[in-house]
Amino acid sequence: MTGIPDGPSLDLDLFSDDALTDPFPGYQLIRDTAPAVYLPRYRSWAMGRYADVRAALGDWESFSSAQGIGLNDLANAATQGMIIATDPPEHDKLRNVLAARLSPKAIRNLKADIERRADELVEPLVRQGSFDAVGDLARAFPISIVLDLIGLPQDGRDKVLGWADAAFSASGPPGPRTDAAFPLLQDQLAYLSSVQPDQLTPGSMGRAIYDAAAAGEIRQESCVPLMSAYVTAGLDTTINAISNAVWYFARDPEQWDLVRADHSLIPGAFNEVLRIEAPVQFFCRVATRDVEVDGQRLAAGSRVMMLYASANRDERKWQDPDRFDVTRNPVDHLAFGYGMHGCAGQGLARLEGHSILGALARRVERFEVGTPVRRINQLIRGLDGLPTTVVPAA
Amino acid sequence: MRIIVDETRCEGYGFCAEAAPHLLELDDEGELTVLSEQVAPDEAANAEAAVRVCPVAALRLQS
Ligand code: HEM
Ligand code: SF4
Repeated sequence: MTGIPDGPSLDLDLFSDDALTDPFPGYQLIRDTAPAVYLPRYRSWAMGRYADVRAALGDWESFSSAQGIGLNDLANAATQGMIIATDPPEHDKLRNVLAARLSPKAIRNLKADIERRADELVEPLVRQGSFDAVGDLARAFPISIVLDLIGLPQDGRDKVLGWADAAFSASGPPGPRTDAAFPLLQDQLAYLSSVQPDQLTPGSMGRAIYDAAAAGEIRQESCVPLMSAYVTAGLDTTINAISNAVWYFARDPEQWDLVRADHSLIPGAFNEVLRIEAPVQFFCRVATRDVEVDGQRLAAGSRVMMLYASANRDERKWQDPDRFDVTRNPVDHLAFGYGMHGCAGQGLARLEGHSILGALARRVERFEVGTPVRRINQLIRGLDGLPTTVVPAA
Repeated sequence: MRIIVDETRCEGYGFCAEAAPHLLELDDEGELTVLSEQVAPDEAANAEAAVRVCPVAALRLQS
């Protein structure tokens, strides 16, 4: 397709340093302009209103993932066959293998262990008094849990986090940031290909992938992409959610008092952190036919950014959307996506988030934070450092 | 109105059962059971809420 298609368009840069530091004004402009807005810089449409994003995510027959969920051809080609970039029936076969290990039922028996790990991590940090809520808390926790669950051997683990960050950023628009990230995505895939099935802990989620291939449930070529799904999707997402929680509660101590006084608010509070700061800002879909979005026509073949982060702050859906309110319980936020590709790891992510918040709520009266350092990534939003001092609970 | 579960998509999050406890229940095994497929008029709002909160779009209503 050449030229600018009919319809509303905006010459908006969503990937400058400024925009990546504070994307919300750009999202606001997109929401205010139209249900779907063409962004010529990315030769892509963007959808920012809650009802439209949700409806599109629920309609995979019109909005396909199979041509990739990123904004450049190289990454879309490299991620072919990954669950996130498939449609049924292929998608459902892969999803079944993951769901067998990630569904709420499958992870029930992990609860006690994850809660214990949260206590063991938080207790010495609170005693110490000062720490980096990103490095010492938010990163340390999911890394140990997720990599143990996948059953990865110890050597190589230290690189996994950098690769995961890059694996997301590699799906941005063509440009220097994407060029820098792409080789790291390739390194991740090369590393995962080099891991032999018998190096994975018996009974682990990683081993289960290879068992499924051996049993003929999925193709052998699907193993590495599925491993990549665990390693990529399971880390920075949860990490950002946890550090964002500390950041928001430090700035809004009254909200923390509410949680401390009533721990049954924790699941809703975690949802609210995810709503107001969606760790994954967007993924794309491609229209399989001419479609109408809220009366506006999109031609078959249009690539459309699904702006989860914007939908989660859509004033059409949420009252006072920029206000952090732990009593809101926004169960239907879109930070985990929605529908067929709705996050397969959300049960585990919730278990991790609730355990950490619980461990903190029992021990911390106040968080005091210094200036946060933002981590610049083209798809995910979160912090790189958050100097934190805590006032322990009496 | 009837509430229908797509069993191939349902992964047992159970949010639907919290929204409509008279219609849906998560059993001790973590499997979703439909207590009443028929949705009485006074349960319609709960049924709609159940459909809305399912994260994987496994529920739908049929009139
Ligand atoms: C707070 C933490 C997390 C957030 C915000 C998050 C976000 C998301 C989002 C937005 C999607 C939707 C993709 C789409 O619409 O195309 C997704 C899919 C996925 N997530 Fe998560 N995720 C989180 C944690 C996890 C964890 C812990 C795991 C696994 C260990 C995981 C595994 C997956 C997988 C495998 C998919 C692909 C599902 C599919 O395509 O059917 N996620 N996640
Ligand atoms: S909320 Fe959806 S996935 Fe969860 S139990 Fe209900 S129907 Fe199944």
